[in-house]
Amino acid sequence: MLSLKRDPMFKVRAIAGVFALFAAGAGAGIFDVALPAGIAFRHENSPTPRKHLIEAMGGGVALLDYNNDGLLDIFFVNSGQITATQQTNTFARANERYWNRLYRQNRDGSYTDVTTAAGLSNAGDGNYGMGAATADYDNDGFPDLYVTSYGHNILYHNNGNGTFTDVTSKAGVATSGWSVSAGFFDYDNDGKLDLFVTRYMEWDFAHSKSCGTSPRFYCSPAEFPAVSNVLFRNNGNGTFEDVSTRTGIAAKKGKALGVAFADYDADGFPDIVVANDGMEQLLFHNDAGKTFTERGLEAGIALTDDGKRISGMGVDFRDFDNDGDPDIVITDLARQNYALYRNDGHGLFSYRSMQTGITALTNLNSGWGIGFVDFDNDGWKDLFAAQSHVMDNVEGLDASLHYLEPPLLALNHVGRFERAESGTTVASAGRGAAFGDMDNDGWMDVVMTVLGGKPQIFHNRKGNGHWLTLKLRGTRSNRDGQGAIISAGTRHEIATTAGSYVSANDPRVHFGLGSDTKADIEILWPSGTKQKLNAVAADQILTVTEPEAR
Amino acid sequence: MHGILLILVLAFQNLTPEALKHAEAGMDLQKQGKQNEAIAEFRKVAELMPELAAAHVNLGQAIMQGGDFSGAIPPLKRALELNPDLIGAHQMLGYSLLAAGYAAEAIPHLEKIQAVDALGVAQLKAGRYAEAIGNLQAALAKRPNDPDLLYYLGRASGLLSRDTLETLKTTQPDSARSHQILGETYAIMHNAVGAEKEFMEAIRQRPTTPGIRLELAELYVAAGKWDLAEQQFNIESQLQPGDGEAAYRLGNAQLQQGKIKAARKALEHANTVQPGVPDTLYLLGKVTGLDDDPVTAEKLWRELLTLDKDSNLAAQAHFGLANLYRQGGKTAQADAELKEFQRLQKAK
Repeated sequence: MLSLKRDPMFKVRAIAGVFALFAAGAGAGIFDVALPAGIAFRHENSPTPRKHLIEAMGGGVALLDYNNDGLLDIFFVNSGQITATQQTNTFARANERYWNRLYRQNRDGSYTDVTTAAGLSNAGDGNYGMGAATADYDNDGFPDLYVTSYGHNILYHNNGNGTFTDVTSKAGVATSGWSVSAGFFDYDNDGKLDLFVTRYMEWDFAHSKSCGTSPRFYCSPAEFPAVSNVLFRNNGNGTFEDVSTRTGIAAKKGKALGVAFADYDADGFPDIVVANDGMEQLLFHNDAGKTFTERGLEAGIALTDDGKRISGMGVDFRDFDNDGDPDIVITDLARQNYALYRNDGHGLFSYRSMQTGITALTNLNSGWGIGFVDFDNDGWKDLFAAQSHVMDNVEGLDASLHYLEPPLLALNHVGRFERAESGTTVASAGRGAAFGDMDNDGWMDVVMTVLGGKPQIFHNRKGNGHWLTLKLRGTRSNRDGQGAIISAGTRHEIATTAGSYVSANDPRVHFGLGSDTKADIEILWPSGTKQKLNAVAADQILTVTEPEAR
Repeated sequence: MHGILLILVLAFQNLTPEALKHAEAGMDLQKQGKQNEAIAEFRKVAELMPELAAAHVNLGQAIMQGGDFSGAIPPLKRALELNPDLIGAHQMLGYSLLAAGYAAEAIPHLEKIQAVDALGVAQLKAGRYAEAIGNLQAALAKRPNDPDLLYYLGRASGLLSRDTLETLKTTQPDSARSHQILGETYAIMHNAVGAEKEFMEAIRQRPTTPGIRLELAELYVAAGKWDLAEQQFNIESQLQPGDGEAAYRLGNAQLQQGKIKAARKALEHANTVQPGVPDTLYLLGKVTGLDDDPVTAEKLWRELLTLDKDSNLAAQAHFGLANLYRQGGKTAQADAELKEFQRLQKAK
C-alpha cells in the first residue's frame, strides 16, 4: 500500500503541515498535546522510600462512550495511599484525591467530572488501583467497566442512565491478589463477552523485599513468585464462571502485565497473547472455544530471536504489515528493545524488531502502553508507546538511561517504522495509553496516563488521508462485535477494546485509507457470519449491523 | 642459609674463647626456640668482637628470624661495612629493608643476589615500574600463576600505564592521544558529551589513527545511536581491513538498524579475516537467516557448535536452529534443538 512518501498527497500534506507549523507556532507533528478543559485528574501512586514495586505499576485509562451520546468519555484509574511505614495490604481510597474519575465529554470538547453522579466514587476502599477494561458484557447497549486492582477487582454495570452499579459480587469476578491488565473477548463465540484478567505476581507487604541499600530501588519481579491468570466465562445471566483451570489458563503461571486478543491462526477462535515481565511471553492458542494450549515457545513469541527473556509490559496484537494476519508488539525495558513478532502464517511468528526499525528506535527506552494505530491515515498502522523506566533512580545505575521519557511515535512506512514528532518532548513517567477518535474527526487520538502525574491527551492535528470508522452492531455475535475481523481492501483490523497496558481503547474500528475515497469492506463476525460491503465511501463513521442470517 | 652457616663456621675459627662461649650459647638457645635470649648472646659476641663482620651477620640473622626486620637492618649494614662481599648479608639486608618499607634502599642488595621476585616488588614500590615489570615477568617464568607475582605484575603494569599517560597529558596536552585519553576518562565517568568531544578532537587531529573511532563508536552504541556508531565502525574497518573486530562491530551496528544485506557483508568479512570466532559465527548465522538463507545460517551455527558447546552462544545457536527448522517445517529437528536450548538454559 501507499507509504507516506509514496502517497500522491504527501506533498500537499507536507505543505499543509508547514502551514500548520506557522499557524500553531509549535513543532510540526501528528499531535497537539494539551489537557482539555475540565480534566483535573492526577494519578496518585504514593511513592515511598521503601520502594514497593506496586507504586510503579498503576495508571489505567479507558475510553468509552458510557452515555451513548456518540462522544468518547474518559475513565482514569487511580491507585491509592501507601504510607511510609505501611504493613497492611489495604489502601485508603476514601479521600477524593485517590478516587477513580470518569470524565464525560461535552459537545465543545471540554469534559465534566461525573464520577460521583455516575456512582463511581467508591473504588473499593482497600484496593490499590491498576487498570480498566470495557465492554458491553450483557449486550444491553451500554459499555460496562471492569477495574483491576491490587486487592479485588470491580465490575461496574452501566445502568444506561448515566450511572453504574458495582455488580462484582453477583458477577463473581472479584479475584484476589494483584491484577493488572484485563480485557473482554468472546473466547467461545457464544455471543457473550468473557473476561481475561492478568495477574502480576505474589506480593504483599509482609513478603515485600528491599532491594539495594544506597540507593534503594524497585525490586526485580524475579524476587517474587509467579501467579496464574484468570479467565471468566460469561454465563449470560449477569454472572461469570472462573474457567481458568478447566480451560488450561491456570496451568501456566507467569508475571503478566499486558493482554491482547486476536485469531492468529485464522481458525475462527480468538487467541490470547500475554506480556510477561522477565519471563517467557505467553501465547494461549484457543482450542475451538473449549480449552487453551500455551504455544509461545513453539510459535516463536516467548523469547527474542537470541533466546532471551524480556520484561514484557504492554502488548498489541494487530496486523502492522497489511498481510492479513495479526502481529504482536510487546514493550519492555531499556536495552531489551521492544519485541515485534511478525505473523508468518502456519501458526508461526518471527522476531522482526531489527528489520522493522523497532530495535534502533527503542534500544534505550522502556515502554508500557502501546498500540498499532494508523495515526496518519496512510493505510499503515503506526506505533505509539507510553514510555518511562520502572526505576525512578535508574540514572544512578546507568547514566545512559532515563526514568522519565517522552512517548514514542513511530510512523509505519510500508512495514518499517521511523521516528516522528509525538507532539511533546517533555519527559514523563508514561504508563497507560488508550487509543480512540475523541472528536470523531476520523483521526486517532491518544490518552496517556502518567504515574503520579496528570495525564496527557494527544489530539491528532489531522492531515489529508482518507479514513473510515466502523461501529459494529452484533446480533448473533456479541452486541459490539468484539472479536470481529474486518478488512478494508488490504488493510485488516480486529474489533477489540483490549491491548496496550492497563488500558481500554475505543471499541470502534478505524481504518486509514490513504488516497482511497472508498473501500470494499469484509467483516467476519465472531458468530462466523461473513458480511461484505462494497465501495463504502471514505471519511465517515458507519454503523454496521451483523446480518441475522449467515 | 648455607652462606650464613659458612660465615658462622669461619667466625668460630677466629673467635676469642669468651666470644665463642656466647656464640655457642646463642646457637643452643636458637635451637630451643628462645629467640630473645639467643639475640642477647649474639649481641654480646658482636660487642666483644666489633670488627668481625660475621658476628654482626649472626646478630642480624637472629633478629630477622624473630620477625624484627627494622631491628635487623643496623647489624647487617655494619656487617657489610666491614665486608661488602658477604652475599648472605646482602640477601638478608635486602629482604629486611623491603619488609620494613625501605624499598629503594633494598634494590641494590637484591640486585646483588639477583632475587628477581623481591627485586620486582621493590622496584614496583619504588616507582620504577618498567624495571619491576621485567623482573616480575622473569620471576613468573620460574613460578607461573603465582598469585602474589601476578598481583604485583598487574599493579606494576597498571601504574606504568597511568604514569605514561599522565606524562603524555602533561607534556603533550593538546595532542590527539591526550584527547583520546581524556575521552576514555570521560567515558568511564559516564560523561558521554565530554567523551564524544575529546574523541572527535583526537579524530580531527589524526583522522587515520586506528582505534579512536572504535572508542567513539562504542560510546554511540551505549547511547543507542546505532547510525552514528555505524559510521565510525565503517571508517574504522576501512582503516583496518584486516581487523575482524571492527568488521564484526560494524555488522552488529548495521543489524541493529535492520540493514541485513550490509550487516551480512561486514560479518562475512569479519569471518574471513578472523575465522572461527564464535561471536562472529553466531551473528553471521543470524543475519544469513534473516537474509532468507537458512542453509548458510544452519552451517554457521553448526560450525559454532563444534567450537563451543555449553556457553550462552551455544544455547542461542540451538535456539536459532530451532526457529530455523520450525520455519522450514522440520518440527522434530526444531523440537530437538529447543530441548538442547532448554537444557543449556537450565544448566546455567
